[in-house]
Amino acid sequence: MNGALKITLAAALLAGLAGCGNDSEGTGPFGILAQTAGQVVAQRSAAEQPAEQPAAPARSPEDAAAEALRVNPGPLIQAGFENLGRTTAMAMTGQNGAMRTYMTPAEEALILRDGMLVGTRGLGNDLSVAEPGTEGLIRAGAAGTGTRIMRYFAGDGVERPLQFTCTVGAGPAPGVTVENCEGHGARFQNSYMVQGGQIAVSRQWIGPVLGYVTIQTLRP
Amino acid sequence: MRRSPILRRLMATTLPVALVLGSAGTTAVAEPMYARNMSTYGLGGGIDTPTAETLPDGTLGATVSWSDYGRRSSVVFQALPRLTTVLRYSRVEGINDYRDEGYISDRSLDLRYQVLDEQGWRPAVAVGLQDFLGTGVYSGEYIVATKTVTPSVRVSAGLGWGVLAGKPRIIDNSGQGGEPNVDDWFRGGAKPFASVSWQVNDRLNLVAEYSNEEYVAKYRSGSAFQQGDEPDNGLNLGAYYSFGDSYQVGVYSIGGNTFGAQFSILLNPRQAPYPSGLEKAPAPVRPRPAPQADPDGWSGVWAQDPTAQPAIQTALGDAMAKEGQILESMALSANRAEVRLRNNRYINQAEAIGRTARLMTRALPPSVETFVITSTAAGVPASSVTVRRSDVERLENTEAGQIADASILSDAAAGAPGLVRSEGVYPRFRWSIKPYVDLGIFSAEDGLTHEVGAEARASYEIAPGLVLTGALRQRAFGNIDQRGPGIPGQRGEYYTPEEYEANPALETTPEGVPRVRSDTRMYTGNSSPVIPELTLAWYAKPTPTVYTRVTAGLLERAYGGVSTEVLWKPANSPLAFGAEVNRVKKRDFDQLFDFRDYEVTMGHVSAYYEFTQGFTAQLDVGKYLAGDKGATLTLTREFANGWRIGAYATKTDLSAEEFGEGSFDKGITLSIPLGWATGQPSRERVDANLRSLARDGGAQLNVRDRLYDRVRDSHSVKLYEGWGRFWR
Repeated sequence: MNGALKITLAAALLAGLAGCGNDSEGTGPFGILAQTAGQVVAQRSAAEQPAEQPAAPARSPEDAAAEALRVNPGPLIQAGFENLGRTTAMAMTGQNGAMRTYMTPAEEALILRDGMLVGTRGLGNDLSVAEPGTEGLIRAGAAGTGTRIMRYFAGDGVERPLQFTCTVGAGPAPGVTVENCEGHGARFQNSYMVQGGQIAVSRQWIGPVLGYVTIQTLRP
Repeated sequence: MRRSPILRRLMATTLPVALVLGSAGTTAVAEPMYARNMSTYGLGGGIDTPTAETLPDGTLGATVSWSDYGRRSSVVFQALPRLTTVLRYSRVEGINDYRDEGYISDRSLDLRYQVLDEQGWRPAVAVGLQDFLGTGVYSGEYIVATKTVTPSVRVSAGLGWGVLAGKPRIIDNSGQGGEPNVDDWFRGGAKPFASVSWQVNDRLNLVAEYSNEEYVAKYRSGSAFQQGDEPDNGLNLGAYYSFGDSYQVGVYSIGGNTFGAQFSILLNPRQAPYPSGLEKAPAPVRPRPAPQADPDGWSGVWAQDPTAQPAIQTALGDAMAKEGQILESMALSANRAEVRLRNNRYINQAEAIGRTARLMTRALPPSVETFVITSTAAGVPASSVTVRRSDVERLENTEAGQIADASILSDAAAGAPGLVRSEGVYPRFRWSIKPYVDLGIFSAEDGLTHEVGAEARASYEIAPGLVLTGALRQRAFGNIDQRGPGIPGQRGEYYTPEEYEANPALETTPEGVPRVRSDTRMYTGNSSPVIPELTLAWYAKPTPTVYTRVTAGLLERAYGGVSTEVLWKPANSPLAFGAEVNRVKKRDFDQLFDFRDYEVTMGHVSAYYEFTQGFTAQLDVGKYLAGDKGATLTLTREFANGWRIGAYATKTDLSAEEFGEGSFDKGITLSIPLGWATGQPSRERVDANLRSLARDGGAQLNVRDRLYDRVRDSHSVKLYEGWGRFWR
């Protein structure tokens, strides 16, 4: 708590330093740093919340899902980001053909095509676009190999493709199809539960930094 | 044409993930041989001796190294994968020149080129020039080979000339230096040197080397100086510890009797904490309903309704404002819409254009099929991207090259039929009060200097392209005090402000050159408020490829007057030409509304070219502030993430004596976008200009917002370099 307070104070000082004005986009270096510091504080206090208020029980993913279903009339998914260590309900904000965009309240997005992950937005190490050449095999529940291209932004601001060779086959559990991919010194395994061509539940690899996301359909 | 660089970039590679994406970490495969520690000279290497190692391409770093021999502050830039450049400011101990201070301040420039990389049995080989502009304390040349013996041990051996052979060049300090002495290179007898480096673990690196450096400086006058203590032997030892992703500290001993410490920071523009940015997800495309579901919308009859456009324009403008864009104006017909957008948030213009295209699918009736998105800069349109709405719908969230191929980039005219200005955009008043920090880091004479205070700034855009800008500064504290220029012939001594102001004759140097910049410190240290700038600027676009600027008022700290500029830059051309003419008068040192006597008409013609891979070149030929005529060549390397690192050199018709130390002006410019460091989308930048000295030859007017950089963001080379962010 004490630590957070100090940071808040420091952030307030920084914010004071950042000055004032009516130009929200041109806040200057100090402004940007203050915003960033403020966000760090917000994240930290959010993280510390349960410890400080033991009376308020931590919401289980099930409770969160139930509440999201109650509040949102439209299609919903629940996404668990393994490397970020959080699970959130995401609501559909747009549909373009088979492609759907789901967002968190903080406007981070997962872009899915009939359940297949094709992109993420707002997460900092996003997958720009995936071109899974194995999609047909996965939907058909067939075995075979294919190429998967995943595009990412490199640190220099240029979008770069990574090409993986993937093998699709039946998984250990019935009804589960797994896709093993390898390339560029990395390997990952995606798992899909396909029902009638639709991917209802899946665990898919976003990229080297974000790792896997588990996606569950709450309301199709 | 525009497609080739994109396609080249989008071609799949076989490099490991970490290398392609620049994420930190180790990989199993062989990497290029990157340096594991920085030398006292600020390059990758041994302790004093060089190696054939490089730094990752684009790396920008700084090293400060202290010992009894002096303090070396070096800035290193890996300009090309094989070319390493260093600019160094040193305080060299033990040398008495005419100032008799027991040390001298010295600037030096190094180049190292890796001729061969390490392959199989073959070692990497590099050739280097140390302190090669003029004869300096550190002048020397080398050829060196480095070989990886085991994964953790590297051995280097080479031949050195000059100081590297313990045979320092004779320094002739009667001249002004600054010009390469090619005749001396690789002459005067060579001696071998060698080093071994052992990477103990991820953090610790140990180095032992044999060096011939004797730390002696010899002058033409016959005097020779021992810097610090003469090394007892040629054996140097060092230990280097890296922490964080970008820091390194080191301790070393030279010859067993002198000890030193150093600190390095290395930044790689290719390694960002949030490479894709943390900006919120864009609003997705909204596909059109089927024609039978919205017959009115598809037929275009809505366009007859005079209330349609204002309503649509307001809705679209509000949506764009949420994404940091201003909808300046819009032309709407039944099947075509043109929007003029000002991007206030994203470094890459493509991101602003892509987001606007998606918002248009959400705001415009179904019959509108052609989207024209025109980017404006300084109130004038810079280029138009024309794209079919069906392509935006069809290609959403696909590889960005596809929408690039489906769109057309063209020049934009100043006006367009049916263009309606958005309500409430003009006049636009913005103000801010912020702290400011001025830092002088590399002044060898003064060490670290700073000034802190508050700045109030306001701008009033009366109409598109017509802007009134003013700033007011109040210093709070700092050690950049007011003082006159150096007294000629007595280096290290300065006129007092009172002396300098009392005698107008001092404003011309004894060689007859007006003091246009060498008295720049007279403008600092004001304890009362000052006006750094107060201008009225007018930007216009007489033809679709020609831009003009007229700026009048207090243009910069030291000059006021009128500055005019014209630029020819077609949107699809890597080549541009410009001309600038300024009539300026020197401002009084109180930086208010008074002027001094000096007045000059100066200006340049300029040619600009954008090469591939982010390299741009600019050549200015003309007359400078002191009335001297000459040329400036600027080379800049620019990354898609917004990093810019440039170097420039100016040579004018002033003789070396008139010009002053260095013979010609040279320097380095650096601009880092804040969004790169924080992940937050922003066009804010941190800029630095490392110029050698404030001198009078080759001095340029610092007028704000020259046309070229304002216009270029939405032109082919830069736009397509950042095109990957279209679907961001």
